[in-house]
Amino acid sequence: MFATVRKQLRSHPALIPLFIFIGGGVTMSMMYLGRLALKNPDVCWDRKNNPEPWNKLGPNDQYKFFTVNMDYSKLKKDRPDF
Amino acid sequence: MAHPSQLGFQDAASPLMEELLHFHDHALMIVFLISAFVLYIIVAMITSKLTDKLILDSQEIEVIWTVLPAMGSSQIAILSLRILYLMDEINDPHLTIKAMGHQWYWSYEYTDYQDLGFDSYMVPTQDLTPGQFRLLEADHRMVIPVESPIRVLISAEDVLHSWAVPSLGVKVDAIPGRLNQTTFIVNRPGILYGQCSEICGANHSFMPIVIEAVPLPHFENWTSLMMAEYT
Repeated sequence: MFATVRKQLRSHPALIPLFIFIGGGVTMSMMYLGRLALKNPDVCWDRKNNPEPWNKLGPNDQYKFFTVNMDYSKLKKDRPDF
Repeated sequence: MAHPSQLGFQDAASPLMEELLHFHDHALMIVFLISAFVLYIIVAMITSKLTDKLILDSQEIEVIWTVLPAMGSSQIAILSLRILYLMDEINDPHLTIKAMGHQWYWSYEYTDYQDLGFDSYMVPTQDLTPGQFRLLEADHRMVIPVESPIRVLISAEDVLHSWAVPSLGVKVDAIPGRLNQTTFIVNRPGILYGQCSEICGANHSFMPIVIEAVPLPHFENWTSLMMAEYT
């Protein structure tokens, strides 16, 4: 299948940017989905050893992918300890 | 509030809404550019007397019309993601207010001030005084201090409602059994209007939200007066 694609690319080189952009978009989407599956605290994979990961968040944890203005490591901890 | 035959957004009263306006202007400019270009091409194609029956394909133009739209879309996407994450930031609120949706009024609880709580019903059309806005005024306004981060916790007591104030760029669903949070900062003193944005029964259109942003000393006076009356 890849040999056929490579042969067609030689006669239609305009398809190369298409592969780059579509491939890049698919890669970024899959990477973000993977990040959500593995690092999102709302997701539970191991019911026996780690049943409720959302209860383990500290006040300084950043679980969002990207922060514009906030620096979570500088936040004060103003909650009581249990 | 919205003016008659208004087409665009209401003036921004919070920094987040300003960011939303800038993003909207940016995306709309890209859309206008593309539309104008396409319109020009259509007119040029239709009014041209040139023909070529033997054109099958062209690699160069294919590259151009792959790369240029991709760059335009990625411009919109990056800015869109930036403002999406900006909207989720919580910046150390000074005041927490609970807004509970009922059929068909809102109730506000200022539990930072002992037990202050009151209901906010729409002013019926026949009771409006001259200068008031029809279907937008409420008997008790939610008063907040300007230039202070405010946290609003929103829920509902019976059916789905939605607490929306367009000039702040805020719309949060009020779901029974669930607590939703939003934060905002009001830049300037004034009165900001919004309406319930989730169908909730017969009087869904008649439960407005009115926010009155005042300087802090006025806010403290108001809380003292209200505590004397409502706690």
